[in-house]
Amino acid sequence: MVRLTEMPAVAHGFISELEMPRFEQPAWVTPKPAAERRVAIVSTAAVSRRGERPFSWLARDYRVIGKHDRDLVMTHVAVEYDRTAWQQDLNTIIPLDRLEEMAEAGEIGSVAAEHYTFMGAADPVDMEKSAREAAARMKQDEVDTVFLVPI
Amino acid sequence: MCGLAHYFESEGFATVLVGFVREHIEAIRPPRALWLDFPMGRPLGKPNDPAYQMRVIRAAFELLERPAGPVLEDFADVIPVENGRMGYALPPELVLAADEIGDVDKLLARVEDEMAALRPAYEAAVAARGRTTVGASGLEISGFAPFIAAFVRGEIPKSPRKGVTPVPMLKLVVEDLAAYYTEARTHRDGIDDLELMGRWFWEETEAGRLLLSLEAVALESENKVLRAIVDMSLITPRFWSEGPLPGTSGSGW
Repeated sequence: MVRLTEMPAVAHGFISELEMPRFEQPAWVTPKPAAERRVAIVSTAAVSRRGERPFSWLARDYRVIGKHDRDLVMTHVAVEYDRTAWQQDLNTIIPLDRLEEMAEAGEIGSVAAEHYTFMGAADPVDMEKSAREAAARMKQDEVDTVFLVPI
Repeated sequence: MCGLAHYFESEGFATVLVGFVREHIEAIRPPRALWLDFPMGRPLGKPNDPAYQMRVIRAAFELLERPAGPVLEDFADVIPVENGRMGYALPPELVLAADEIGDVDKLLARVEDEMAALRPAYEAAVAARGRTTVGASGLEISGFAPFIAAFVRGEIPKSPRKGVTPVPMLKLVVEDLAAYYTEARTHRDGIDDLELMGRWFWEETEAGRLLLSLEAVALESENKVLRAIVDMSLITPRFWSEGPLPGTSGSGW
């Protein structure tokens, strides 16, 4: 199992020195029954529609992906993760097709019209304002369940 | 990612996440989390394997049935990585010095020949997949290598893209170049192996040599932003190396 202590020198030093935010009195929402859920994906892969403004290196903002968008590019700054998987299949990082299949099978209620991507290299605390903006859009879209996927 | 989960939950959404660094999940305690012992970059596990991807999603969504939290569980399957590294890393000794670069025009010509030879495979890959991830920079494919080569010559060329300054543009072009190669090769040879693709692109191709040359120039550059791309390890994959690039901290973040 890859734990921090087993990581090579550079990565171990970097990851173990990251500051961890504290969340006092965290919220807990009781989920809807599975077959009624409307699910949106939030990804930190810094993916966006082709031609849109690239993410900056420490971007705090977000981009919107429609559920049928497939012509996507990635402007993430980091080099520590594999990019060949998403090159072969978008569902390896943003599983829109899988969610559609689950909706068709009745395992979930529906797939949100919009999904959201952030720049994972930025500090999540700096993304709070953008996250709350994205949340407002999700409410318009009647989303109740959020599936968060890193890169 | 764990922090974002708290924000969305506080807005009234039920959240569930998958994550790679268990220690972070333990520290930040998002409401529901599934830990994946996978290489980074593949949170759903395996490309073109819908059944496997579905297993990951179902295991994550199963956590939405728990009555109280925070919930942290481990996914039942492991996708092994080499030596604790969660992505490909260049061997620490594979560093090019500026005086080893040689004639940049000849190097550029070799990269362009190599790219031309890969073109049919690249186009077949795009046709088969119905998409390409090449193009984040917005440059034409034929423009990738010349743009990078200008930096290797010590120039800071103008960015052709409005609103994107030259060095961030360079970063996007480098990723586009790598994507062109690996999209072609993963399709042509039916390979899904991140270590093999990393070794091939970075250690065996002329494009890899062009980028190691770029790194060598950036290391000696007086341009702060260009220098930052090596200090922050943003061009060459050294994050999972056993030691930092000589002359840098290995991570200037």
